[in-house]
Amino acid sequence: MKQPTLQHEPGVAAMPEAQPRRSMRSLFRIDGWGALALPLVLFLVLVFLIPLIAMLWRSFVDPEPGFGNYVAIFQESLYTRVLLNTFLIAFLVTAVTLVLAYPYAYLMTLAKPFWRKVMLVLVLIPFWTSVLVRSFALVILLRDTGVLNTLAIDAGIIDDPVTMLRTAGGVVFGMVQVSLPFAVLPMYAAMSGIDRKLGLAAQNLGARPSGAFWRIFVPLSLPGVAAGLLLTFIQALGYYITPALLGGPENMMIGELIVQQVSAVLRYGFAAALATLLLATTLVLLGIASKFLNLEKALLRQS
Amino acid sequence: MSVRRFLSGTALIAAGALALTGCSGGGGGKSEDALTVTMWGGGAQRAHVSTVFEPWAKEAGMTIRQDQPTDYAKLDAMVDAGKPSWGVVEVEPNYSATACAEGKLEKLSDEVVAAAKEANVSDVQVNECGIPILQYTFSIAYNTETFTDAHPTTWEEFFDVEKFPGKRGFWRYVTGGAFEAALLADGVAPEDLYPLDLDRAFAKLDTIKDNIVWYDTGDEQVQLVSSGEAPLVQAWNGRITQAAGEGLPVANEYNENLISYDHVVIPAGYANADKAQEWMLWFLTHPEAQSKQAIESGYGTASPDALEYLDDEVSNDLAGSEAVNGVSAAVIDYNYWAENYGPATEQFNVWVAK
Repeated sequence: MKQPTLQHEPGVAAMPEAQPRRSMRSLFRIDGWGALALPLVLFLVLVFLIPLIAMLWRSFVDPEPGFGNYVAIFQESLYTRVLLNTFLIAFLVTAVTLVLAYPYAYLMTLAKPFWRKVMLVLVLIPFWTSVLVRSFALVILLRDTGVLNTLAIDAGIIDDPVTMLRTAGGVVFGMVQVSLPFAVLPMYAAMSGIDRKLGLAAQNLGARPSGAFWRIFVPLSLPGVAAGLLLTFIQALGYYITPALLGGPENMMIGELIVQQVSAVLRYGFAAALATLLLATTLVLLGIASKFLNLEKALLRQS
Repeated sequence: MSVRRFLSGTALIAAGALALTGCSGGGGGKSEDALTVTMWGGGAQRAHVSTVFEPWAKEAGMTIRQDQPTDYAKLDAMVDAGKPSWGVVEVEPNYSATACAEGKLEKLSDEVVAAAKEANVSDVQVNECGIPILQYTFSIAYNTETFTDAHPTTWEEFFDVEKFPGKRGFWRYVTGGAFEAALLADGVAPEDLYPLDLDRAFAKLDTIKDNIVWYDTGDEQVQLVSSGEAPLVQAWNGRITQAAGEGLPVANEYNENLISYDHVVIPAGYANADKAQEWMLWFLTHPEAQSKQAIESGYGTASPDALEYLDDEVSNDLAGSEAVNGVSAAVIDYNYWAENYGPATEQFNVWVAK
């Protein structure tokens, strides 16, 4: 049996009944207008899908056909260590970002409109500044003879400079700084949509303010938190500039390794294999995450 | 070179994407009378273009177009696609040797080879596809405030953290001269340097591993040594000369310096390759233009003949001069590095992560 409303659509008429009806119908209800999405689809295929497939292909054929590149990754423990280090740093960055961003976003919902704007600008100005510039600024801040160490030594807090640059701590510090807006903005968006009366109602029914916060506000803000953390984490995996500038060679992340292999050593196939491995691991992690989080809801409900 | 790493930060990501899709952005359409020059960027590129490209272009009725920075992956992708938009490209000599062997670069014409010989360009600095555009040294740069009485004058002393305490800076690349310095410090005779005994070099580097700072950029190089954060840095002499000229407390120790140079090459299939060869011929036969290039850029000239046009005060700081070459330990052997760059980089990554 065919869907009566769709009979004029020859393409859809052939669709078997088992298809999720609602989404198909809503897709085709925009019929002529649907073509407007075509440029973007084509664009994505051209700049994203084809290169991705080319990369996958290259990881198996360059320099010679087979699994050589993947074997090479696992033969040298360094490369798996770089991959693990990448995920570790990304987790750390995400955790620190959460701890910093959540209260900030919460405070933004409480602040008066003027101060809310000030807080928003404080988040957005670094967001609009080039990552390269910010990373160089952090170098000046963090190095042994930099602003922080000089101040601390002059104030008598420490005698010898604390090495922050070219350490994992320095990398996390820098990456958190870069990723804060990506966490604060979706969190704030979710939080500002929460009806404050719900918390008041809970208190009216006998909840303490802290109880109302943890049992009403926090759960309702979770989609924003999930979106922010996901953006932060996935971004952090691919960071290149910040760890390259703030980290040392001993805490290399995979982005740097890939750039080195492509641009200096010219082992394209090996770099493609590394990139494929990163992509696959990320997808697996996302799959696991989606078991616990409603990703679609988290990412699409923001707007 | 000074801004290379600075720029590559942004450019590599874009270039990587370009390389993967096989597209080559580049300088757009080629008109018959234009030559596109691609270098590491910054002040050095400006100096090269104004002193040794523009005067030729004026004579030859050509236009000079510029791009930056050099990116090997992008260059490879352009050549593979058959339409390189870069005409004359500044590269490291190990890349020039590798890419030349793979047929990715135009071979030098007989005239250019003869002109290089005529201009007394060092034989080892010319290969089938590339001629040097500049020379520099990896020398001991030291902070003049930290070391007022005595400073390290040999690599052995550079590695002696008891006699000269403090951090040491090395460039974060295997071609950065750290291995050569380590082996010289360990007592290897300069003439026995190549092929490098990497294991021995790593063992020597191990002895000061905690004291090593690996830097990326020329700016870092100057900052590390001038601030005293790493009072000793194995640095590019031109950078230190410039910094000293600006009044920073830094100086070059040229004893046991390692001579290095950058190549210019022509990507295979470049539409105006014959014009690029013509420029090379002009460059080699105009030492006075090279002398201006040295004044503007602070880097040594390709041809020693150009030194005649310079005051001693300038030329004594240039690689290729008697003052610098006379105390040099070795010339970096880029043919060795062409063969060993990949494996050595892997070994370096493993060692540094330990």
